[in-house]
This record gives sequence, structure tokens and C-alpha cells, in this order.
Amino acid sequence: MHLDEEELSRALDKPADYGLDLDLSSYITEPKEEVKLEESIVRRAYEVGVDLSRKDSVGSFFQVDHSVLLKAIQKKFEKDVELMTIEEAIEKYDWVEGLMWNLISPYKDKYTAFAAKNRRGGYFIRILEGRRVYIPVQACLLLYSPSITQCIHNLIIAEENSEAHIITGCTHHIKSVKGLHLGMTEIYVRRNAKLSFTMVHKWGPGMDVRPRTGMLVEEGGTMLYNYVLLGEVKSIQSYPMTMLAGSNSRISTNNVIYLSGESNVDLGGGVTIKGPGSKAELLTNSVVTDRAKLVSRGSIVSEAPGTKGHISCRGLILSDKAEISAVPSLTSKNADSELTHEAAIGKIAEEQLFYLRSRGFRLDEAESLLVRGFLDISSMGLPKHIEKMIDSIIEQTMKGF
Amino acid sequence: MLKIERLYVTVGERLVLSDVNLEIAEGEVHVLFGPNGSGKSSLVMAILGHPSYKVISGRIIFKGIDITEMPTEERIRLGMAATLQHPPKLHGIRLKELLNRISDGRLRDDGLLRLIDKLRINEDLLNRHVNVGFSGGEIKKCELAQAFALNPDLLLFDEPDSGVDIENLELIGRAMSELLVGKSALIITHHGHILRYIKPVRAHIMFKGQIACDGNPEEMLNQISKNGYGWCEKCISMKKS
Repeated sequence: MHLDEEELSRALDKPADYGLDLDLSSYITEPKEEVKLEESIVRRAYEVGVDLSRKDSVGSFFQVDHSVLLKAIQKKFEKDVELMTIEEAIEKYDWVEGLMWNLISPYKDKYTAFAAKNRRGGYFIRILEGRRVYIPVQACLLLYSPSITQCIHNLIIAEENSEAHIITGCTHHIKSVKGLHLGMTEIYVRRNAKLSFTMVHKWGPGMDVRPRTGMLVEEGGTMLYNYVLLGEVKSIQSYPMTMLAGSNSRISTNNVIYLSGESNVDLGGGVTIKGPGSKAELLTNSVVTDRAKLVSRGSIVSEAPGTKGHISCRGLILSDKAEISAVPSLTSKNADSELTHEAAIGKIAEEQLFYLRSRGFRLDEAESLLVRGFLDISSMGLPKHIEKMIDSIIEQTMKGF
Repeated sequence: MLKIERLYVTVGERLVLSDVNLEIAEGEVHVLFGPNGSGKSSLVMAILGHPSYKVISGRIIFKGIDITEMPTEERIRLGMAATLQHPPKLHGIRLKELLNRISDGRLRDDGLLRLIDKLRINEDLLNRHVNVGFSGGEIKKCELAQAFALNPDLLLFDEPDSGVDIENLELIGRAMSELLVGKSALIITHHGHILRYIKPVRAHIMFKGQIACDGNPEEMLNQISKNGYGWCEKCISMKKS
């Protein structure tokens, strides 16, 4: 899509609809030093579920600040999946630019405009027609230089009848105490394709994160979007938008959130259902502690018959200073659609604690069992070893709780 | 095994048990009848030490130890277990994982596996989140499995037969009767169906928060089936006068 520079410049002053407003001039866009693939960086990637030494992945992409340190597809999967930088993809295919800024408007707010003006890297992952790969493609985006802004544009295409798992981890290196991650991700799920996309985020108290995500699902396609956010972050505001364009298409988003410290997170998800017989499900399970604040938004608009939509927000508040707000919204423009929502927010229920104590668990054991239960990821449909790895990351984050 | 002496219990401002006395000897199974809301479940909650059930006077003695003020989990560790009538849902906690933790990792032991098998708790149910979307029968079976996984000496069953179909009733009844050998128990039942499979040595009737009378389980059940609990009121007032 052609970008209108003037309109982009105007959008640079537009705050986002939700979340903390950031002063973009307080970040730098050029890293001060060159980054090498060193052990402390590789370890950090591992902590967000990306094991760069893993043999059982289709391929890996690893970008630190603006430098792509690794992008490789295993030879035996070269006929199944394409993996390259977004710049390489633009170079290689004349249709790639046409798919960019198609599902996200660059003029939406200052973050999209800034990312459009300053794009540096991002991955292009394309699962070729009819190809099915059951081990994951993995990608890690890491912030390294202090005060850096990472402006990334990712494009994922699951071509017709294909199937794949993508696992991405986003984090920062301990050296970087302040930083801004602007990750634009556009995902196309073509006819009868199935894509499972799992993102693990682990940040620090000085990090601001403004991802922008747009997804399009065609006829018979299925998109599973899993998001795991753990620990403390300065601020996140995100509102992935999905268009269920084709009939009998499906989106299921599953957020599992554990927030500590002073985190300020505004997390949403919007789905427009245009295809008859399509289904949307937005699930969020969250645990907040310390002084963390979470706004959990969800919106489903149904414009087609025979459709279903459900929003669920379950939140557990572990401290008197922590806060959760649930803001679900349902709009039906068709008599033949079934839209529901449920929200339950509060502290750990006394009845559950008593129940577990009546089975011999001490109070602290009962509490941690229930909190851990809240952060269950088994419904994400992940490959077993990925599920195990993320489980152990959650376990690690929860240590000392 | 269990001795309750002149127990008075409140929930909030409400007196739910008054002057309850009960003694269950080692190896004895007792049954507790009573109409809805008479205080049967409150007695179980008080024995377990539910924080909302405050003992304002009286004592609960278990294995010779005064447990009236003891935290719930310590009472359990002393050797008691209970099945609850309306257990809460535990999202994200699988039955399998819970049973394994309750039994200190003995889930693979023959005894526990046999019990799971006997109750027809299949792999599918073991992998589901505790009580989430369970049928009435599944809830009861899951409660029983947990209680026996603790390998207790005293069991408290709160309505193990309510909301259960005939097939599951038989499963539950037979499992209970086999597993109760040599153990002490208090079985609460509103309509007494479970007594087709278990023969308690003594029965008590709870009425308006008091034990109205004690006696032979079969005779009492016959009496209740014929006359209901209407005469209990008279009986209590006669005792008082």
C-alpha cells in the first residue's frame, strides 16, 4: 500500500484510543553499538520460549534492535515454509507491499505512523499452499540498546490448505532498562488454512510496548492466537483486530497474563464476523498483583448469519493495590447469531481455598495451586514440548509468589 | 475416634448448631438424617473447621486431640477426609494432578488406581478441570476419589447420593462399602438411598440445628419415610420440658 507522507506526519500527533500516551521523542531510533549473537542474548531468547539451539523447529528468526542475527529454514522444510526479512520479501515478490498496511492502518495513531516511517526489519513467514508442518517456526525480537525503539513489520501468510505453528518471543536484554517495542504484524490465513500463533512477552519495568496486529481469515480458515504476558512492564497497549472474511472461518484468541510491579496494561481484541457460519472466541485469564493495572477489552461485531461469538474475561486480583477492568462489547447486526460474554474478577474465592485445605493443602499451597490453575495454557493447542517450555517459563516467573 | 461435646456454631449472626453431642467410635459408621436446612452440612463444615463456621462453645475431639481451633489442613493431616455436597469448580487444575498431589504422588499406586477404576473415572475425566462441567455423578465420584486418596481414618460424607442416577449410585455405594472397612464414618443423607449398600451401626436425626434423637438406622429411616420429620419438633420440645 502506498503511504501518504503528509497523512503519516499528521498521525504522528495522534494518541492511541487507549492506554498511556507516550512521548516518542524520548527514544532513540539508531542503536549506538553493534550487537553480536552472544550467550546472554541467546539465554534471554530462551526465557521467552525461543530455543535457538533447537533442532526440532522448522526455522528460526532472531532480530536484536535492527539487526537480524539469524534467519534460517532447515533444509528439509524449504519446500514448506519461506522465512526471510520483510525487506528481502519486498525485494523478492512484487505483491508483498500490497499486503502491508492492509490490515492495520498506518494512520491509526502515532505508533503506527512512527513504525511506518521508521521501519527496520521484521520477518516474513509464508507457509506454502497445502503444506503442513507440525513443529514450530520460531521468531524472537529483542531490544538491546538503551532507549531504543524497535520498529518492526511482520507479515505472515498461511496459504490455502496449509497448517503451521509459529512461536514468537519478545523481550529485552537486561542492559536495556528503557525501550519501546513497536511491532506491526499482519497475518493472512487463506482458504482452509490453519495457523496457530503463540506470542510470549516478558519485559521489564522500563519497557513500553505498542504492538499492532491485524488478521484476516478466509473461508474455512482457522486462526489460533495465543498471548502469554508475564511479569512487570511499564506499559502495553494492544488491540489485535481480526476480520473473519470467509464463511465457516474461525478465530480463537487466548490471553494468559500475569502482571506484577507497576505494570500498566491495556489489552484488547476486536473481531468483525462477515463470513456466515463463522466463530470467534476471545478468552483472557489474568492474575495481577502488587500495583499492576490491567484493562481487558473485547469486542465482537457479527454481520453474518449462523455465527457465534464469545468473550470471556477471568481475572484474579492478589493485592489491594492491583486493578482489573473488563470491558466486553457485543454487536449483532444479524438475528441469526449467538453472541455471549462472561466476566469474573476478584480475589481468590474463599470456597476454593477451603476446598483445597479440606484436601490437606496448606493455605499458601492452595493459593499457589489456584493461581497456577488460572494461568493454564493447555487449551492453547500447542505442540507438547512448546507447552512444557512455556509452562516452565510461567513456573519460573511465579517463583517466590 | 470423633467426639463432639455441647457444640454451638454460628455463621455470621445465625446460630446453625446448638448443643450438638455426637460420638463415633473407631471402626463405626453412623448416619445422619434430617430435613433440608436442619444443620447437617453445617456440622460437617464445623468438624472440618470452615472459617465461616465459628464455634462459640463446646469442643470437637478427634483421636483424643481437641481440634476445635485447629486449621482445616491440620485436621485433615490428622486423618480425616470429607466429601462435599457442592464443591467449587477449580479452573486450570486437572483431576489427575489434584489426586496425585493429594496422595503425595501415589496416583500410580495399585490401591488408588483400583479405586479410580472401580468408580469408572476414566482418562477423559482425569484430564478435565476439577468439577468444571462435571455431571452430578461425576462430582460425587471425584469427591470420593479425593477423600480416599487421603487414606483417612474418619470420613465425612455430605450427601454422597444426592443428584446421582441409579447406575452411579450403585457404583458409589459399592465403592464406599468396600473402602469403609475398618474406618469410621459419618454419612449425611437426606433420602437414605445410599443405605442400600452401607449398613451404619447408628443413626442420628438433626432438626433445627440439634440432634433430635439417636437410634437404629433402619427403624429410623422407616419412621422418616412414613411420618416425615414433623414429629421431631414435638420430640425436641418434650425433651426440653
